[in-house]
Amino acid sequence: MNFLSINEFIQGSTQTYLDPGSGSMLIQIVLAALLGAGVAIRIFWRNIKAFFTGKKASEGESKDPTGVVDDDPTSLPSDPTSARE
Amino acid sequence: MPDKVSGSFRDPSGFMFKHDGKLYRQVNQKYQEEYDLLMNSGLYDQLNKSRTLVAHKEVELTLAPRPEIAYKVIQPENIDFISYPYEWCFNQLKDAAILTLAIARRALEFGMSLKDASAYNIQFQHGRPIFIDTLSFEKYEEGMPWVAYKQFCQHFLAPLALMAKKDVRLAQQLRLYIDGIPLDLASKLLPANTRMNFGLTTHIHIHAKSQQRYADKEVSEEQVKGRVSKAAIYGLLDSLLSTVRSLKVKTVQTEWTDYYQDNNYTQASFEAKCQLVRTFIEKVQPKKVWDLGGNTGEFSRLASDLQISTVCFDIDPGAVQQNYDKVKQNKEKFMLPLRMDLTNPSPNLGWHNAERESMQARGPVDLVMALALIHHLAISNNVPMIDVADYFADLGEYLIIEFVPKSDSQVKRLLASRSDIFPDYSPEGFRNAFSFLYDIIAEEKVHGSERTLFLLKKK
Repeated sequence: MNFLSINEFIQGSTQTYLDPGSGSMLIQIVLAALLGAGVAIRIFWRNIKAFFTGKKASEGESKDPTGVVDDDPTSLPSDPTSARE
Repeated sequence: MPDKVSGSFRDPSGFMFKHDGKLYRQVNQKYQEEYDLLMNSGLYDQLNKSRTLVAHKEVELTLAPRPEIAYKVIQPENIDFISYPYEWCFNQLKDAAILTLAIARRALEFGMSLKDASAYNIQFQHGRPIFIDTLSFEKYEEGMPWVAYKQFCQHFLAPLALMAKKDVRLAQQLRLYIDGIPLDLASKLLPANTRMNFGLTTHIHIHAKSQQRYADKEVSEEQVKGRVSKAAIYGLLDSLLSTVRSLKVKTVQTEWTDYYQDNNYTQASFEAKCQLVRTFIEKVQPKKVWDLGGNTGEFSRLASDLQISTVCFDIDPGAVQQNYDKVKQNKEKFMLPLRMDLTNPSPNLGWHNAERESMQARGPVDLVMALALIHHLAISNNVPMIDVADYFADLGEYLIIEFVPKSDSQVKRLLASRSDIFPDYSPEGFRNAFSFLYDIIAEEKVHGSERTLFLLKKK
């Protein structure tokens, strides 16, 4: 049999313990193809713009659109356990 | 002896345990490769720098409760108070969703993938959401779909959409469905016009249909592997992000949000009450405070402004949201606003009724505050005062409580539409009921009102 359930397949290859769900996986493949194309177009335009403006295309690339993980670190103690026991 | 933490069993990568009152996490050998990748790829440092992943330090392996499968033992930073998604206001759940997507995105840049997207992996610490599951990262495999997509939609997108597009009270569905709201249910409950919204129609409505259609179908390896590029996952995450971002719940003016502008307090009596509460807090010098029925946190801030870890519970999601917005705006570090119905507080939930703790199990604290609350419990909810005293005594050592007599306009309002079946509801009745369990340390009239403030200590 070539056919494996998604769960078996995923569990065999990684540490994953969640059931990703057959329907969820399949819709994701379709959606991701569509949305990924959007990302590809964005990058393509940025490269074209970069070519004409002379700026590196990678500039601004690391900026997170969520604005969360690029936050300035707050002035909290760096030792995790010294904060409060 | 180490105690396994009962909510920590789903992921075979490791588990949490308590030893000498401190919380640790055993990392299993099974997770060795991914743990090393997290620590050495720069991902941990990046997330730690932005204070988005809980910091930890490695401790002696001898602490491992199951040494035969242990790779490391780590001690994560202490979280002041563990809260759950069904206790958050809309903006808290939304910020938790955005943080989850941010981390999933950042993980990809470092060659890792976020393997789960549970809302229970987020906590609020120092006024900000923080990701607390260090073992949620796995090596990214080129071409593989995002394994936590379904979970993200159930835990975050569905409840946020229901709250924003239908009714903010639907957040309580999260208490019923501990692994997130089933998408077919969300799809049925959402208004028809959400089908015109690209994000909601794809990630909820069509997603739910797809789940139904393929519920019993097996999917071949070839159908999945190599079908989702990294760019496509970025596209998926960004689409989820913009969908989440577009959802909004106005800070609604519900029953309590205007309380301080719209009641019979004069500014002078409000300030007199603040002064009394502040004096009592200073007398007790608590490390942890719970303010019950704390509204938008006016009085909770008397504690949190003194850098005392304070949880402000209120039944009104509008008040909680207003409070949370203020915490964010002022970057307050010691205030956690949560939604709680004290007549039906969060119970123990989940497997063995032990995965998520009840409100009470997360106590007791040093000081409980119950200001302008007793009449709602004793009159609106018919709880005998002795039972109110009994419950509060379970929650904390000291109690600052305000007695609101029948002559007060707020109580008159509660009694206006019903017969007065509360002969014991009087200052004397109050003292009698609470004296069974408490010593009265101080008792002060609130200037310019009919009310009395008590500072009580458990016997």
